[in-house]
Amino acid sequence: MNPPVLSVRGLTTRFHNRAGAVTVVDGVSFDLARGEVIGLVGESGSGKSMTGFSLIGLIDAPGRIEAGSSVKLEGRELIGLPDRDLRHLRGRRISMVFQDPMMTLNPVLTIGEQMRLVLAAHGRIDRASARARSAEVLGRVGIPDPTARLDAYPHQFSGGMRQRVAIAIAILNRPAVIVADEPTTALDVSIQAQILAEMRRLVAEDGTAMIWISHDLATVSSIADRLCVMYAGRIVEHGPATEVLGAPRHPYTRGLLDSLPSQSEPGADLRQIPGATPSLAALPPGCPFEPRCGRADPVCTTRPEDVEAPPRGWRCHHPLGETAA
Amino acid sequence: MTGYVLGRLAQAAVVMLVMSALVFLGVYAIGNPIDVLISPDATQDIRAAAIAAYGLDKPLWEQYFTFLGRILSGDLGRSFVYGMPVSELLLGRLPATLELTLTAIVGATIVGVPLGIYAGWRPHTTFSKLLMGFSILGFSVPTFWIGLVLIFVFAVELGWLPAGGRGATLHLFGADWSFLTVDGLKHMFLPALNLSLFKFAMMIRLARSGTRETMGTDTVKFARAAGLSEWTVLSRHVLRLISIPIVTVFGLELGATLAFAVVTETIFSWPGLGKLVIESITALDRPVMVAYLVIVSFVFIGINLAVDLSYAALDPRLRKGGGR
Ligand SMILES: Nc1ncnc2c1ncn2[C@@H]1O[C@H](COP(=O)(O)OP(=O)(O)OP(=O)(O)O)[C@@H](O)[C@H]1O
Ligand code: SF4
Ligand SMILES: [Mg+2]
Repeated sequence: MNPPVLSVRGLTTRFHNRAGAVTVVDGVSFDLARGEVIGLVGESGSGKSMTGFSLIGLIDAPGRIEAGSSVKLEGRELIGLPDRDLRHLRGRRISMVFQDPMMTLNPVLTIGEQMRLVLAAHGRIDRASARARSAEVLGRVGIPDPTARLDAYPHQFSGGMRQRVAIAIAILNRPAVIVADEPTTALDVSIQAQILAEMRRLVAEDGTAMIWISHDLATVSSIADRLCVMYAGRIVEHGPATEVLGAPRHPYTRGLLDSLPSQSEPGADLRQIPGATPSLAALPPGCPFEPRCGRADPVCTTRPEDVEAPPRGWRCHHPLGETAA
Repeated sequence: MTGYVLGRLAQAAVVMLVMSALVFLGVYAIGNPIDVLISPDATQDIRAAAIAAYGLDKPLWEQYFTFLGRILSGDLGRSFVYGMPVSELLLGRLPATLELTLTAIVGATIVGVPLGIYAGWRPHTTFSKLLMGFSILGFSVPTFWIGLVLIFVFAVELGWLPAGGRGATLHLFGADWSFLTVDGLKHMFLPALNLSLFKFAMMIRLARSGTRETMGTDTVKFARAAGLSEWTVLSRHVLRLISIPIVTVFGLELGATLAFAVVTETIFSWPGLGKLVIESITALDRPVMVAYLVIVSFVFIGINLAVDLSYAALDPRLRKGGGR
């Protein structure tokens, strides 16, 4: 097999607040192959965005990526890299798209200027070439009349079009990896599918690998080759998307699937996972899902180990699909 | 866009008209100028003649239109005290105030905004904390006190800079300017510094809070995620995003200082408008007071207009006719 473009091992991010340290990303590990799409799913607050920001090295104090974490991008270790070098990789080899396109673009600069700044951040480029390259990429993401639109401001675009512009900025320098942090969540349902299809086409054309972050299993399942399910900062289950969705091993994944509208009888209430996401500052000592888990027993008060059964893996004392012990 | 500008101009003209009426009524309410103009033991005939000569026997509205007509034709009357046309008197003093005020505010902005951005960008460094401490001082210590301290330290004790006056001036565009000579600059330094400290503190705070707010936004995160250097993020994104409140305060302060640089001008015997007005109030020099009020409202309205128009230049969302 080819070496992965992105290899993450034991990624741990903590916030050292006055009240104490909070671990928001806890020992996350995965490999991302060239052109592969990994879906990172979990409830709100499970640490998906923090994982994304950790990967591109943008965790602000008092947050810190802890020693022992490793993120290798195209074979190069990013953890411990000087800010300068990291900045040159950001936006060039690895880039990120955010959730709300109304907030990401600068309202007082033209699209063309914002794109030019991103190009100029990674090498000398004259204005004419910057415009040409920007227009080309805007055209690729489906903006009509791209050259004229370079002089427009963000408020002159609809939400969906703004997200296309943000995507254009993310792929401007042909990165190897894109972290897409819920890029469709803030959009109208009808636009969501378009953007999803557009992203899938773009990464397939370029062979770009992507981490697609979402709290919505339904969206993720339509784009991801593999899934990582996150809970309280940890990956609790991972594997090929079809297998994880078809035969989940972790009770939390099962719970997420059961709460999908398509899984319930029409008209019936959705089956929500009981309880609420735990406070990261006060996690139970054993399995973090234990207070909400129907299969929990006294063993679950100890921390479950990673079980690796390639191509799958899980963290549970009593995984589903085995005769209950 | 031109429609917008024309609309705003018309609006400014209406405000100006209202202001002139207010000034007129206000001054009318102060009392009868005849008492000041002629000696109390003049005969009834002389009194009546004077009243007729000044048009004070006419109805109020007629007096107002005469007043308005005179202002529009540039005739602001004669000063009782100086015996010269008020317009000449004011124009003679305006350059002194103008150069002092502009130097103080532009200086405070050019130095204060970058420092404030730094303090918002790196709020926890010792330097940023010192800046904040300093800005609180700049806010709370009274101007006249700082002025006296400046004179005491730099003029009296150290003898480095003069304590008052405009120093040598150079004639340009029909007015005398201190900033064109070295001696004039020396004279201007202390009063300008005195006048700028408050504005400097304000600019630091404004830029700092704007920057702190902006640094946490998705716009800045997205720019960083695209690999922009911190310098580019601050100079291209943040500066543009925080510019509207800064321009607003710049305009307000400019107007306020042009009109009310009184304290500093008095302490440093700077022969500007503020000093003239204090003198004319003490001497009950009514034409000067009226003209001053009219000019001050004119300046305020003009500055407000300029600020409004610059919003449109700074924020494309406010431009009319630029919709989808
Ligand atoms: N400064 C901080 N100090 C302590 N905890 C923090 C801080 N910032 C974020 N967190 C915590 O980090 C956790 C992970 O947040 P993150 O934004 O990664 O969640 P998410 O999975 O992306 O959720 P969402 O679906 O809502 O975007 C949250 O529980 C949040 O409370
Ligand atoms: S370890 Fe126990 S509590 Fe945790 S998910 Fe598995 S069965 Fe539930
Ligand atoms: Mg998130």
